[in-house]
Amino acid sequence: MTERSQKEIWRLSPWLTLILLMANFVLMAWDARTESNQRVLRVWAQTVAVFFQSPVNFLVTTVTEYFQSYVELRGAASENERLKQRIHELEIKLQNAEQLAAENERLRSLLGLKESYKGTVLMASVIGRDPSKWFGSVIINRGSLDGVKVNMPVITTGGVVGRVITVAPLTSQVMLLTDEKSGAGGAIIGELGNSTALGVLRGTGKKDLLEMRYVPGTVEVETGESVYTSGQDGIYPAGLKIGEIVEIKKGSTTTPHVIYVKPTADLSSVKEVAVLLYEGQKVERDDKIKR
Amino acid sequence: MEQVRLFIALTLSILLQWAVRSIAEPLAYIDFPLIVVVYAALQGNTIRALFLATIAGISIDALSGGLLGANGFSKTLVVYLASEIARRVYMENLLLRVLLLASLSLIHGFVYYGVHRLLGQTMTDDFLSLIFYYTLATTIAGVFLFIILDTLILEGLSGVKKYEFFSIRRQPRRRNPIRLGRRL
Repeated sequence: MTERSQKEIWRLSPWLTLILLMANFVLMAWDARTESNQRVLRVWAQTVAVFFQSPVNFLVTTVTEYFQSYVELRGAASENERLKQRIHELEIKLQNAEQLAAENERLRSLLGLKESYKGTVLMASVIGRDPSKWFGSVIINRGSLDGVKVNMPVITTGGVVGRVITVAPLTSQVMLLTDEKSGAGGAIIGELGNSTALGVLRGTGKKDLLEMRYVPGTVEVETGESVYTSGQDGIYPAGLKIGEIVEIKKGSTTTPHVIYVKPTADLSSVKEVAVLLYEGQKVERDDKIKR
Repeated sequence: MEQVRLFIALTLSILLQWAVRSIAEPLAYIDFPLIVVVYAALQGNTIRALFLATIAGISIDALSGGLLGANGFSKTLVVYLASEIARRVYMENLLLRVLLLASLSLIHGFVYYGVHRLLGQTMTDDFLSLIFYYTLATTIAGVFLFIILDTLILEGLSGVKKYEFFSIRRQPRRRNPIRLGRRL
C-alpha cells in the first residue's frame, strides 16, 4: 500500500471535510424531521451501541455501588430508626387511603364512570444516560420486542419520568420530563390538584424544574399544590402525579400565571422505571382546510 | 502501530463517555472523544483524524437526545481547524496545545448549539454557562490526557517524552556571505 504524501493529504483534506460535513448535515436533517415518529437511523445506531454500552455500564455501576454501599453502611443504624418511624406514619396514611379508595369506588359506581386506564405495566432498568450535558435522556433495557412503542409514558414510584422517544429491538430511549424538548415534542397538559385548572408543562433545561404555562391568572394557586397529568395530551393517561408547585409568578385577569413545578420523581438518579404500555389517542392533523 | 493505538484510545474514550454520567454527573462536562480527535489532528494525518472525528461524533449522538450527526458535524469541523493550525504553527509545546484545545472546545460548543437551533430544536436557555463549564472541564482533562496519549501512543514503552513547555526559539539559517556578494 502506498503512503500518501503530505502534500496530497493537504490537497485532499478540504474536500474530505466538506463531504463529511455534508454527510453529517444530511443525517441531522433526516433526524430532525418532525413527521417521522420513529428515528430509523438512530434505532440502528443505538442497537449497535448498546452491545458495548451495557457491559461498560454494568461494570461501572457495580464498582460505584460497591463503594457507595460501604459509605452508606456507616449511617445504616440511624437510617433504620428513621425508617421504622416512617413505616408507622405510612401505615396510618395507608389506612386513610384505603378509606378514600373505597369512597372513591363507591362514588365512581354511582356516577357510572369507567376507569380510564387499565394498561399493562412493564418494569425496566436504566442502563445508560445521555453522554452529553446538553440533553437529559436515559436508555432503558426494554425495546420493541417487549412491546414498547414511541410516546409510551414512563413512570417511577415518585411520579412521571418522561416518554419513550426511540425504540430499538432491545432498548428504548426515554426523554425526561425536565428536558427542554419534552414540551416541544409532546406538550404535557397538566392539571392542578385543587382547582383542576389546566396548563402546558415544559422543561426548563434544569434537571429539577418544570415550567407550567397558560394557567388562567384568575385561578387560585398555592405553592406545594400537586400537579397531575390530565390525559388530554394524548401521551400520558390522566391522574399520574407530575410534581409539586415550588414557585408562582402571579398573573392577572389578562395574563396567565407562570408556575414552576418540581417533579416528584427523582430524575437525576432514577434506576428502576415502569413503562406504561399505553397508547394515547392520536390527534390526526388535517392540514387541508375544509370549506 | 500508531494508527491502531489511536483507534483503541478513541474507542476507550467513547466507552468512557457513554458511562461517565453513571459514575458522576459533573464528569459529563468533559468531552473525552474531542480530546482524542484533536490529538489525532495534531499528529499530522488530517484524513485519519477527520474520519475518527466523524466516527466519534456519531457514536456519541447515537445514545444522546440530540440530533444524530450534530456531534459528528462539529467534531469534523473542529478537527479540520486543528489540523490546519497544526500545519502552520509549531504545536509540539503543551501550553500551545492546551490553548488550542480550549479554543476548539469553545467552537465545538457553539457549533453544536448552533446546528440544533438551525434545525429548529429547542435547547437550554442557559447554554452560555454550559459551554463555559464544558470548555473548562475539557481543557483541564485535556492537559492530562495529552500527556497520557503522548506517552502511550508516540513513545509506547520505549521511554517518556520530554515536554517542551515553552516553544523552541527557531534559529534562521545563516546565509553564505560569498553567495550574497555574488548576487550583488
